[in-house]
Amino acid sequence: MYSKLIRNILLFFGLLVMQLFICDNIRFGGYVKPCVYILFVMLMPFDCPRIKLMFNGFLIGMAVDIYNGTPGLNAAATVLVAYLRPYIISLMTRKPELEGKTYPSIAEMEIKWFSIYAALLLIIHNLTLFLLEAFSFRLFHQVLLEVLISVPVSLILIILFCYIIKPLK
Amino acid sequence: MYNLLVFIRKYSATIVFVLLELLCLIMVIQSLPYHNRKMAGVANSISGSIHTTTSNWADYMSLKSENEQLARQNALLLSRLTDVNSEYDTLITNDLYTYMPAHVINNSLDRYNNYILIDKGRADGVEPDMGVICDQGVVGKVINVTTNFASVMSVLNSYSVISGRFKDNQYVANVVWDNVNYQYGQVRDIPSHLIIEKGDTLVTSGFSNSFPPEIPVGTIESTDNDDNDAFITAKLKFTTNFSTLRHVYVVKNNFQTEIDSLCIQN
Repeated sequence: MYSKLIRNILLFFGLLVMQLFICDNIRFGGYVKPCVYILFVMLMPFDCPRIKLMFNGFLIGMAVDIYNGTPGLNAAATVLVAYLRPYIISLMTRKPELEGKTYPSIAEMEIKWFSIYAALLLIIHNLTLFLLEAFSFRLFHQVLLEVLISVPVSLILIILFCYIIKPLK
Repeated sequence: MYNLLVFIRKYSATIVFVLLELLCLIMVIQSLPYHNRKMAGVANSISGSIHTTTSNWADYMSLKSENEQLARQNALLLSRLTDVNSEYDTLITNDLYTYMPAHVINNSLDRYNNYILIDKGRADGVEPDMGVICDQGVVGKVINVTTNFASVMSVLNSYSVISGRFKDNQYVANVVWDNVNYQYGQVRDIPSHLIIEKGDTLVTSGFSNSFPPEIPVGTIESTDNDDNDAFITAKLKFTTNFSTLRHVYVVKNNFQTEIDSLCIQN
């Protein structure tokens, strides 16, 4: 019970540091905005109730927002991802395949499954985030381009981060 | 009543989802218009102190280059002082603008609307609408002030428009950001009969009262020469390097109230 809690707290702050002090400083011509903090929502156990999932998403999104001075922006996108996560999982796998598995991580599922899973969630997240940030369809083509470039970069960073935190479990 | 409870139980996740999203959206919308931007989010005590600590660290790491830059600026100012001394032989000054040094403690480059947080506030005499410059060129305009901090709408903001003037031919044009790269902006509304060449310099016009005239804005990179348009747009490279911004100056127009009263009369 406590080890689970400590794991979550460590993951929370680890991702936050990674996001705020490293990823937010990466930019190639302004198009790349990698985000790794939604790994926190991605790595919640399969049987985590949806409400808990959303509150966790809200918490980490809000933490990023408070530091960046953009209240609600990241939180809105992350809550949406948390809400849609069970649908995505049930779309990608049938119930019996999940038996005996706790976390949707690379270690328990294959890397191919995890990559598709993470990419889908990242696309939803980035599209919501960038559209909300632009707050109009005036910049829609630019938003699409940024999603197209940012998602692969975020995906690579997320998979790398998964290998870094492997000993945590 | 029972049915209501069953309904709530069945759709509890969706209800929580809608409530959370509503909460987020309200916060986003409240902070959206740039002039209503709540400083609370940025300058609250927690993130304010974190920003100060991290920027102190960054300052320490870049002390050497910072020193060089300050030395360069000193030299420039000294040379100007000698010019001034030879021109005027009096102590009475009637300066339109005074400059107040400030420190950048937070800066963003990659959003659609970027803001800079500086460590001078109302207590130091900073007011909204004052211009902010650095030794390289224009930086932005103060939009919100608390007692000890001020948030500056940087040039890298989709709402920012700077009134510029070509140094060679004195024509006035508007400078906006291209919304993508922190190095480049656009010069709009250039009459098409004007011959613009790569490397032409743009300075502030001084019409806005926020910026003194002759502050560098950028140099022309390229133009789109569409003969059919009455106005052409040019790509501009900012002289200010926004990614290494540390020391800035808040520009105070000493006759702002006087000028404002004249504008109201008209």
